[in-house]
Amino acid sequence: MGLQKIDAKMLTKMFLAGAKNLESKKEWINELNVFPVPDGDTGTNMTMTIMSAAKEVAALGETADMIAICKAISSGSLRGARGNSGVILSQLFRGFTKRIKDEQELTVTVLAESYEKAVESAYKAVMKPKEGTILTVAKGIADKAKELVEEGCDDVAEFLRQVIDHGYYVLSQTPEMLPVLKQAGVVDSGGQGLMEVLSGALDAYLGKEVDLSLDSPAGKSAPASGKSSLEVQAGAEIKFGYCTEFIILLNKTFNIKMEMDFKAYLESIGDSIVCVADDDVVKVHVHTNDPGLAIQKALKYGALSNMKIDNMRLEHQEKLFKMSEKSGEPLPVELSDTKTAKVENVKKEEVPPKDFGFIAVSAGEGVNEIFRSLGVDYIIEGGQTMNPSTADILDAVDKVNAKTIFILPNNKNIILAANQAVELTTEKDLLVIPTKTIPQGIAAVINFVPDMSADENEAAMIQEISNVKTGQVTYAVRDTVIDDKEIKKDDFMGLGDHGILSVGTEINAVAKETIAQMVDEDSVLISIYYGNDVTQEDAEAFRSEVESSHPSCDVELQYGGQPIYYYVMSVE
Amino acid sequence: MANVAIVTDSNSGITQAAAKELGIYVLPMPFMIDEKTYYEDINLTQEEFYGKLAGGAAIGTSQPSPEAVMELWDKVLKEHDQIVHIPMSSGLSGSCQSAMMLAQDYEGKVQVVNNQRISVTQRQSCLDARLLASKGMDAEKIREFLEADKFNSSIYIMLDTLYYLKKGGRITPAAAAIGTMLKLKPVLQIQGEKLDAFAKAHTVNQGKSIMINAIKSDIEKRFGGLTEDKHIWLQIAHTHNEEAAKAFREEILEHFPGYDVHIDPLSLSVACHIGPGALAFACCKKIEA
Repeated sequence: MGLQKIDAKMLTKMFLAGAKNLESKKEWINELNVFPVPDGDTGTNMTMTIMSAAKEVAALGETADMIAICKAISSGSLRGARGNSGVILSQLFRGFTKRIKDEQELTVTVLAESYEKAVESAYKAVMKPKEGTILTVAKGIADKAKELVEEGCDDVAEFLRQVIDHGYYVLSQTPEMLPVLKQAGVVDSGGQGLMEVLSGALDAYLGKEVDLSLDSPAGKSAPASGKSSLEVQAGAEIKFGYCTEFIILLNKTFNIKMEMDFKAYLESIGDSIVCVADDDVVKVHVHTNDPGLAIQKALKYGALSNMKIDNMRLEHQEKLFKMSEKSGEPLPVELSDTKTAKVENVKKEEVPPKDFGFIAVSAGEGVNEIFRSLGVDYIIEGGQTMNPSTADILDAVDKVNAKTIFILPNNKNIILAANQAVELTTEKDLLVIPTKTIPQGIAAVINFVPDMSADENEAAMIQEISNVKTGQVTYAVRDTVIDDKEIKKDDFMGLGDHGILSVGTEINAVAKETIAQMVDEDSVLISIYYGNDVTQEDAEAFRSEVESSHPSCDVELQYGGQPIYYYVMSVE
Repeated sequence: MANVAIVTDSNSGITQAAAKELGIYVLPMPFMIDEKTYYEDINLTQEEFYGKLAGGAAIGTSQPSPEAVMELWDKVLKEHDQIVHIPMSSGLSGSCQSAMMLAQDYEGKVQVVNNQRISVTQRQSCLDARLLASKGMDAEKIREFLEADKFNSSIYIMLDTLYYLKKGGRITPAAAAIGTMLKLKPVLQIQGEKLDAFAKAHTVNQGKSIMINAIKSDIEKRFGGLTEDKHIWLQIAHTHNEEAAKAFREEILEHFPGYDVHIDPLSLSVACHIGPGALAFACCKKIEA
């Protein structure tokens, strides 16, 4: 290995390779989930987070400099972050790129320092950092990196190999730090995901054959409205931004070798190349990020005429914007396109914002309807099976015309992404109420008092959600042991706020036992939201059973329509 | 020094017996139940009222007749020089308007106070008027004082059900819209003229917390905060819910240690609109006379 440094081009290659490698392992990482619930999604979340960044990096092309690449990695992953592991990954990238962005080339010393920055940034993003997770693995890597630098290691390949080896060692130790991992017989899934990224990057550095095409991006495409997501989409689809055309008026003979050299040069700076020589002129067409380079090169062969350069990214955005507009009527004058856009904006601003708005993450038409009836302005579809990204939350924030917006994540795995949205929003005040379950979200919005200040409401809501106990009934996707309870594949499980409350083979018995575990002498209200896979008759029969077992409580039954969970139940 | 008498109506929650002790005169509010007229605390007890309400009787409220009002005033004026008349809130009943009209014939001897109080806060106004009178203030000055002081009180009421409120139609559309798919308990606010929606609760405990927080916030923002001299009166009112009211007092005392918390049944003319099982939490700023 002659190369002892990583330049911008190599970094791009390594990043994309890391992303690809993670993507190829995502299903497997999903299965490392401790709880054998059908929501294992760490792999999916991390993949979608890194792919959001990879698309932006790929769109830059091969000539991008370090600053541009760092910006793409950082902002792409921050906006695309979903799930706790995704948010932590995005923070690792943010810290990492902060350190390297002003370097031309990365040495071992720079890498070690950037790892340290990455770890620092990630730990800050998590309110109560837990050891035995992706954080521990990242920290182990950073420590090892520092050690290697102190030992005088300056070979990048050797350095990467050693830190990755050490990372895998730390990963193997995670079950020793987190008993739940040990009982379930798995290593930490987020840590595993991080190792896949680094391993993929090392492979690329070592020159192993890696497919870097992003033709099968994971997950859904960006939502088709909202300016920012359009930018991402536009940027992601257009690799080279300027359509450049001109004619060279030759001042000397343009021989075959010159033609080949010129074409090769154009290929190095762009694509969609047309280069046709005809006696004393050459017609040139290229898509590139730096039209100046093509022009300078061409000037060596003669004078230029008929020059035309268009910014395709802007055009593409306009096209997308047009497509997203509802009226399909052709616009008479070219300029009217921008005019209507301005009118739309003005109209939007003219409606005065209300004081308070609500955004809830929810799944299931019944639950969505309950949230709407309680005054929630915007529902982000998602939750257990699909954690919305920070970008999804930002899009929702865009659509709610209120000065202060309360965000109800309703899932512990979405709270960090919501917090990240707060940091990326300046025009509106966002308050994340850390609701971990749907019933907590419902309790929070019920207890909202329009006449009170945002802070008073926040305090009251946080107080109230602590009074709501939630139990959710689903099925196991594999055999395992958790909290000393042996669980077989396809068993039913009642999951409480702090672990498994009940396991069995009969769904109502498990649900009833789950409730019994939650009810105490102060309980007054049991709410049951029945899911997609439960009939109304079964749900009502179940309600009757619960009523007779807990005569001192009111029992409320609602259609939730949620996937995966037969019953979502709360006790207050 | 003028000899000033205090007259109110039975919405103040002051019973005929208590009125005698306090030296206050109380006009009974008339009720039409199944087309028969009853007078609160005269020939209609709380128990009888709630029995009939639960039995689905058609209950209508009405204001005291001009005849009854003038009869009482004439009687009182035989022993006193002036009257301060404190009727229930003009936002909830026409009796204040009627009394003001009737008072025009009394050459300023009867001063009708339009300070939009009801129940425990109306009661507090009567006590305040009594205190001011004892200090030698005349009826007109007392009326001016109480009217200037009218917003120094706050009431929140948690209802057990929306049923009666909807039936009676005496709520703002906002309050009626609280009814959702969930069985929620509305928390209403009486502020000035209207009974309006303030918040909603899923459980009684939530409703109690909302009311305690609301009163705390009012005290903080409007009444100068909690002070060592405890310049705030705290009151609980309820509709046929005395046990819960007593338990609520204990909870309130945890937030307001050392305070007196007065408990009254809500007057029946409010009760017939909101039904049984309601709990109210109120506060009044103590007057500085």
